[in-house]
Amino acid sequence: MSGGSARSLEKGSAPPGPVLDGVIRVYSMRFCPFAERTRLVLKAKGIPHEVININLKNKPEWFFKKNPFGLVPVLENSQGHLVYESAITCEYLDEVYPGKKLLPEDPYEKACQKMTFELFSKVLTNKKTTFFGGNSLSMIDYLIWPWFERLEGLELTECVDHTPKLKLWMAAMRKDPTVSALLLDVKTYRGFLDLYLQDNLQACDYGL
Amino acid sequence: MLRDVSLVTSSGWVGPASVAFEGGARGSIGVPGTCGCRVGRCELSNLETMANEASKTLGKGSVYPGPVPEGLIRIYSMRFCPYAHRTRLILRAKGIRHEVININLRNKPEWYYTKHPFGQIPVLENSKCQLIYESVIACEYLDDAYPGKKLCPYDPYERARQKMLLDLFYKVPHLTKECLVAMRCGRECTDLKLVLRQEFGKLDEILGYQNTIFFGGDCISMIDYLFWPWFERLDVYGIADCVTHTPALRLWIEAMKQDPAVCALLIDKNIFLGFLNLYFQNDPGAFDYGLSC
Repeated sequence: MSGGSARSLEKGSAPPGPVLDGVIRVYSMRFCPFAERTRLVLKAKGIPHEVININLKNKPEWFFKKNPFGLVPVLENSQGHLVYESAITCEYLDEVYPGKKLLPEDPYEKACQKMTFELFSKVLTNKKTTFFGGNSLSMIDYLIWPWFERLEGLELTECVDHTPKLKLWMAAMRKDPTVSALLLDVKTYRGFLDLYLQDNLQACDYGL
Repeated sequence: MLRDVSLVTSSGWVGPASVAFEGGARGSIGVPGTCGCRVGRCELSNLETMANEASKTLGKGSVYPGPVPEGLIRIYSMRFCPYAHRTRLILRAKGIRHEVININLRNKPEWYYTKHPFGQIPVLENSKCQLIYESVIACEYLDDAYPGKKLCPYDPYERARQKMLLDLFYKVPHLTKECLVAMRCGRECTDLKLVLRQEFGKLDEILGYQNTIFFGGDCISMIDYLFWPWFERLDVYGIADCVTHTPALRLWIEAMKQDPAVCALLIDKNIFLGFLNLYFQNDPGAFDYGLSC
């Protein structure tokens, strides 16, 4: 089973062959949070799978036959069935494969999970306005910002390509005088995080 | 103050509903023969059409209608809202006993924010005080929780396919609304219509490729109901010419109009136009247009 450490396939690469029986393939990218959702479910349910990483900056032409939107994650099985959109792939895996059900059986409990997910997705996609509270920066933006500020330190900014409005919002936030006055220095933050994760008692004073 | 409730079941009237209407010396609805409103309105056969029409909206200052009785599910709705229309279609298609409470969206009751944080519709409420919102989630919940014909496919891959199809549709509601607003405000909307035609083209291609009448196969299913409300509105929004180049989609529209649930909830064109006229004049009475009860 090829794991997540394989080099990505890019433009000019040959399309992979069909998926073998008994295995499901996920087209992924090691740092993509959406693809990680699917890999989490594959792992949690112990589903035999293979991972093909896609170079999202230089996509293979054949990849658009797997997903017309050209995004990861995409599932492909030995029957040639293709499933894309991270939430759809996760529900599909839960339905098809035996073992622990990750979604509740009770219709209401299931609906509750979907409603919570919708709320979360609204934060991620921020469909309507420049800022979360409207066309100018307000409380909600300050309340959400700290988590997104730390994305850079955690090497996750690549995947806000999936969510262009969020990318624009982050750029707009960085221009705000208050935000930029308190902006975390990336190197300092990474230094802190390293020590903190080692339970180093001096972690909190890193950089002083 | 007494509440307005219209009650419908798939098998006809069950029990007296409750109540008199505000300010009216009319009898209780639904008890055949005793209603003082339009002649014949309370005959069983007409009850099927009352659920979506008969209730006047509840607005600010109204009293909360109280808990949902056992054996019923309640939908907070508005007669002309396409999102709520989806959920009402599923209720109808599955023959689920339900009551409709229409909400005045320009003048929402204070209590309504306890049902939905932003006061949106549709919301389902059952007798266990459980609330479900987001139209698609509400529709899936109904198919899950209630017996009878399953509208979602059994096969997980087919289920996933319908969800992916729904994603292809996501621009349509916004585009149709923008066209409507543009035309009502006397603005051009050729560019918008072009994009809408492209979106419809994609759906048309899928039907062609599948060679099926409906989006889920040869029988109507969940995905068709989730799409329908916006297609029903093309004519009254003035954008029916956006399907001139999509023959498979036109066939689908005609097939949908034969479906009993779609038929039962079809909104009269003149009433819809009356609503739209008042809505664009910001008249809070718009939502009750066409109700005589």
